[in-house]
Amino acid sequence: MMKRKNLLVLYTSLITLVTGCGGYPSIISLPYDYRGTSINSAAIESFPQIAPPFIVFVSDRNGMQSVYLYNSQNKRLVDLPGLNFIDAIASSPTITEDGRYIAFVANRNGRSSIYFYDRQTKQRRNLTENVEAEVRNPSISSNGKQLAYEIARNGHWEIEIINPL
Amino acid sequence: MTSCSLSPNYLNSGVLNGRYNNEQVALSGNGNWLALISDRSGSSQLVLYDLLEKRFVDLAFVNTDSAVAESPSLSLTGRYLVYISSLQGKPDIFLYDRLTQRQEILTQNYQGWARRPKISSDGRYIVFETSRRGHWNIEVLDRGPNVELDIPNGSPVQAPTP
Repeated sequence: MMKRKNLLVLYTSLITLVTGCGGYPSIISLPYDYRGTSINSAAIESFPQIAPPFIVFVSDRNGMQSVYLYNSQNKRLVDLPGLNFIDAIASSPTITEDGRYIAFVANRNGRSSIYFYDRQTKQRRNLTENVEAEVRNPSISSNGKQLAYEIARNGHWEIEIINPL
Repeated sequence: MTSCSLSPNYLNSGVLNGRYNNEQVALSGNGNWLALISDRSGSSQLVLYDLLEKRFVDLAFVNTDSAVAESPSLSLTGRYLVYISSLQGKPDIFLYDRLTQRQEILTQNYQGWARRPKISSDGRYIVFETSRRGHWNIEVLDRGPNVELDIPNGSPVQAPTP
């Protein structure tokens, strides 16, 4: 009986340690696996964006900076067939609220483009095909009907908004 | 110089673009607001742009002389704004509630550096890059079940689990 009580005290103090008095804001611990089967790995993870239960992000775990999608409900990576390139550096992914559409920047041979990927059709489309200028930092609205991004024009960064749907 | 070069598909940017540098753009979930870093006032400042009214909104609380706010992100209606500021000597995640006009530091006791925070549309979660493991990884902050969510009017609300 005494032992159980001690255990309980230990357990409670552990919780306090982790969450800081059990209050908010608190950190949600995300899994780490050095082999790269989960959200965090021994490589660099960056550019995260959250639309619960999804977290879209970029990682160079496979030698090339690519876009990944994590489902925090079943704690698994979600396949994104046809999204990533084998010869382009991906960055700045942005996802709609339903997790269906992902826009991101792909950089190939110094040329940047904003791509739009549909998880349902598994199709990828270049939104800035005819744009000569450098583009970066896309940000999509919850329903996917507006996409803002930066474009290098007139010697500075300007903002453009399009409807990618 | 204004919006004459934009095709009909593009939104009329009004006074948004000009001779100024506009960077780190973030759209609110409903698409009505932009948060961005602009040097339109002479120095880099975090500003909001109202896409419906086509005007800038000042953020007097956010921009201070002693720290540069950067990396903004907005919730659904733009009520919650998170950004990075080094007001306390290290990069911290700040949250500004535009309804109550209250500002708080979310990483007050956080060990490690944080960058590129992004808030969920409902305003409860903030995902960010952390330096805690010695290289950049991803972590999520939960503001808790009792925060006022930034959700559309008339949405069904689930009672917080006890």
